[in-house]
Amino acid sequence: MTSFLRVVGAVARKDLRTELRSREMLPALGQFVVLALLIAFFGFDVETGGLKIAPGVLWLTVTFAGLVAFGRTFAAERDQASLEPLLLTPASRSAIFAGKALAAALVLAACEAVLVPAMGVFFNTTVFSLELAGALVLATIGMAGLGCLFAALAAQTRARDLLLPVLALPLWIPFVVVGGRAVQVALGGGGEVNGALALLLDFDILFVVVASLAARFVLDD
Amino acid sequence: MKAIEARGLRQRFGSRTVLGPLELSLDAGDSLAVLGENGSGKTTLLRLLATAARPSGGELRIFGLDASRERTELRRRIGYLGDVAGHYPALTALENLEFFCDLHGVERARAPRLLEQVGLAHVGRRRAGELSRGMGQRLGLARALLHAPELLVLDEPDAGLDDDGRELLTKLVEGKTLVFATHDRELAARLCRHSLDLSRRALEVFR
Repeated sequence: MTSFLRVVGAVARKDLRTELRSREMLPALGQFVVLALLIAFFGFDVETGGLKIAPGVLWLTVTFAGLVAFGRTFAAERDQASLEPLLLTPASRSAIFAGKALAAALVLAACEAVLVPAMGVFFNTTVFSLELAGALVLATIGMAGLGCLFAALAAQTRARDLLLPVLALPLWIPFVVVGGRAVQVALGGGGEVNGALALLLDFDILFVVVASLAARFVLDD
Repeated sequence: MKAIEARGLRQRFGSRTVLGPLELSLDAGDSLAVLGENGSGKTTLLRLLATAARPSGGELRIFGLDASRERTELRRRIGYLGDVAGHYPALTALENLEFFCDLHGVERARAPRLLEQVGLAHVGRRRAGELSRGMGQRLGLARALLHAPELLVLDEPDAGLDDDGRELLTKLVEGKTLVFATHDRELAARLCRHSLDLSRRALEVFR
């Protein structure tokens, strides 16, 4: 267990340090988030139906930002030919995978930290609430598990940019549906939010366990 | 004890056979230079020995362990430097080694010591992406030696190395069980007792 956590920590730290120094994704994702909101602001009637469309805009933005954030996790290793040395260590495949998923989830969380206040500005309302934060955190964990698994799979193909959305999006639908409901409730849409959050937690447990087990085979040649 | 035993070892990519069938035997403590023209299968053989790929056919045992099934155990005992070093360009040379210390479960204090050994102590805080090719190759050698492996598998480790670097390479691999691919027959004769020419499929003894 100690060695598992040591590898998870080392891989996540390495990925985050690399991102902070190379600034490959974070500035672009932050820009993407603001642009997506800008398009939504001009494309929809925010004045009258703002709160109704807010969950949809939020999850669309999170979904596409996630595709970019998770897609780079293994593609970057491939591009710099560092995946082979990484996998030729005796470190557990599941631990390597968990470390990369953790780092990618934190990058997406950083995007969400830009997205939520920006939504408040564009939609002229207080968007932040504990329920919203809970829904975002839970959905991000599950989406990171599945997204990184498919990113590892897609990185082994030439059409990885195309393959990742095709594989990941259908399985992210539960997170978008339940997360959308949780956000709607959190924004004062009525109803009960705990059920949606509990369902998101169930999805997390299921998909994180499945992804960790499958990663052992995906990361093997 | 046998370090490597291969019987009928083959590798195919699709319908094309790129290596073998090959018979190979190497004692622990012995050294083998893999020679041959471009495309003769040197990298393929080294990747099989490093457990980076599974053979399409035949049997490969390293230290008596099956190279297809007992790969995790073997990876603790093999140090590999591929044809592309594959460092993390945004991390410093020291951070690159410390990261691999964590993955191998060895103490981080080994990283600066190895940097010293390969003559990179003065650039330890420099990002790997800013190192010259020869320095990158030295860093790759340090990474391959990090966990004190029993078998060293090096794919053209002399590429990009200056005379000092080649001298260093000679010192670093001295007395170790070594398989390395090169185009330099003189270096091969200096470092190894045996050579395997994959173009001619001939096993020779240098001395």
